[in-house]
Amino acid sequence: MSYFELMGFGPKGWGLLLLKATGMTVAVSCVAFGLGSAVGALIAWARIQGSRTLKLGAEAYTTVLRGIPDLLVIYLLYFGGSAAMTAVGHALGAEGFVGVNAFASGAIAVGIISGAYQSEIFRGAFGAIARGELEAARAVGMSGRLLFRRIVVPQTLRFAIPGLGNVWQLALKESALISVVGLTEILRQAQVGAGSTRQPFAFFITAAALYLMLSSISGWGFQKAEALGMRGVRRS
Amino acid sequence: MKRLTGCAAAVAASLLLACGASAQTKDWSSIKIATEGAYKPWNFTDPSGKLVGFEIDLAEDLCKRMKAKCEIVAQAFDGVIPALNAGKFDAIMAGMNITDKRKEAIAFSEIYGRTPSTFAVLKSSPLAKLPEAGKVYSLNADGLAAAQKSLNELKPMLKGKVIGVQTSTAQANFLEQYFKDVIEIRQYKTTEQHDLDLAAGRVDGVFASISYLKGVVEAPENKEMMLAGPRYSGGALGFGVAVGLRKTDPELQAKFNAAVSAAVADGTVKTLSMKWFGFDVTPR
Repeated sequence: MSYFELMGFGPKGWGLLLLKATGMTVAVSCVAFGLGSAVGALIAWARIQGSRTLKLGAEAYTTVLRGIPDLLVIYLLYFGGSAAMTAVGHALGAEGFVGVNAFASGAIAVGIISGAYQSEIFRGAFGAIARGELEAARAVGMSGRLLFRRIVVPQTLRFAIPGLGNVWQLALKESALISVVGLTEILRQAQVGAGSTRQPFAFFITAAALYLMLSSISGWGFQKAEALGMRGVRRS
Repeated sequence: MKRLTGCAAAVAASLLLACGASAQTKDWSSIKIATEGAYKPWNFTDPSGKLVGFEIDLAEDLCKRMKAKCEIVAQAFDGVIPALNAGKFDAIMAGMNITDKRKEAIAFSEIYGRTPSTFAVLKSSPLAKLPEAGKVYSLNADGLAAAQKSLNELKPMLKGKVIGVQTSTAQANFLEQYFKDVIEIRQYKTTEQHDLDLAAGRVDGVFASISYLKGVVEAPENKEMMLAGPRYSGGALGFGVAVGLRKTDPELQAKFNAAVSAAVADGTVKTLSMKWFGFDVTPR
């Protein structure tokens, strides 16, 4: 059987399964990245504006999440989460096992890791806003909320886009680690295909091509977004 | 630190919302069985995504005998034991050998399959001339002395060689126990990965179950590979392949024991084994 037959959409082809797995990778990465943005923004806010304890907490979060292996975070959330929730269930009088959904725990695990990285990017981007802009906004009488909406958010995002593009690619690749919790994304599907056909090379090279395709498309998207964000700025 | 605990609570709450509780009856009228889905011919996946293989057919037969409704799910092998103990599913049928180490974590049913393990090497390698090719030794108490003698004869030939093996398997334990100070053991996540490295010449040989390696050396793209040396079974290599179960479910274990014994006794295991392996894996 030729490579293209094996990866095709015929009765003996793995195309459809690999396509579905690609969809799963995209879905997990998107949910994780979105969650990471929310977490990252909160943490960045805590580090910039928060009280002493908030600052310490936020710093601990980014230090811990960036400092331990991602696979470990996934294991902790998935197996630890199931065990903890079963224990809570028992305490509340429920019988048996309380499951943690593989998609949810995978997306949350990658999301909170991504959040740690994104918070640093947001913090840096906020720091890059010209202080004069903020002072000018205050001088014309903008209240805190209006200032945040009109100046802080758009300006921060503009500076954050290149860094966010990087973190997005990290999330995309980290999604491959979720295969351990039984979610069928690209890497897991490639391993299954390799073990089932004894043609590992064909499957791994296809998986590599799929990841490269996803990262190229999204890289192009981030480039466009960056150009759009910088359209009002003349580059020297 | 308040933020941190708040965050943990939020995560826990969203988990609860996202997943819900899967309450479970304990009369075992329905059983969830996990397999790897990537270990031909024990259990693998066809291009339509369906799980197939020896253990899939056997599970179907066992469930009929236990009058239970079974659901078979695929799970990556390296997370399968913690997931069982966390309660994700009730049983494992994934070509998993009983070993003393695994027995510390989980319980096992009666054995439904036993295949010896051996080396695969490149035909051009000096290891192609390992002695006693095809001879089977048992590492159980009855054959241990003879097996030890043959292992000692292998040691000088294997000295300094790099041998690939799948991680957290009985085969890895075996190499650790008998060849640790002689060879360099390189562990891989899946068996395919050590095959690729064997083909690339990055390892001098691999050590795996014959039921798996037979298919590998017969594949057209692996013309330069061959089986080598004697074969070993029992002892550190596991007492055989069985259903993995939680230690807290003795009723389920009793049910599986009865079903497996019946399937071995009436020849069902042999029939399925001939269909998928081309040889008999029935434990004797």
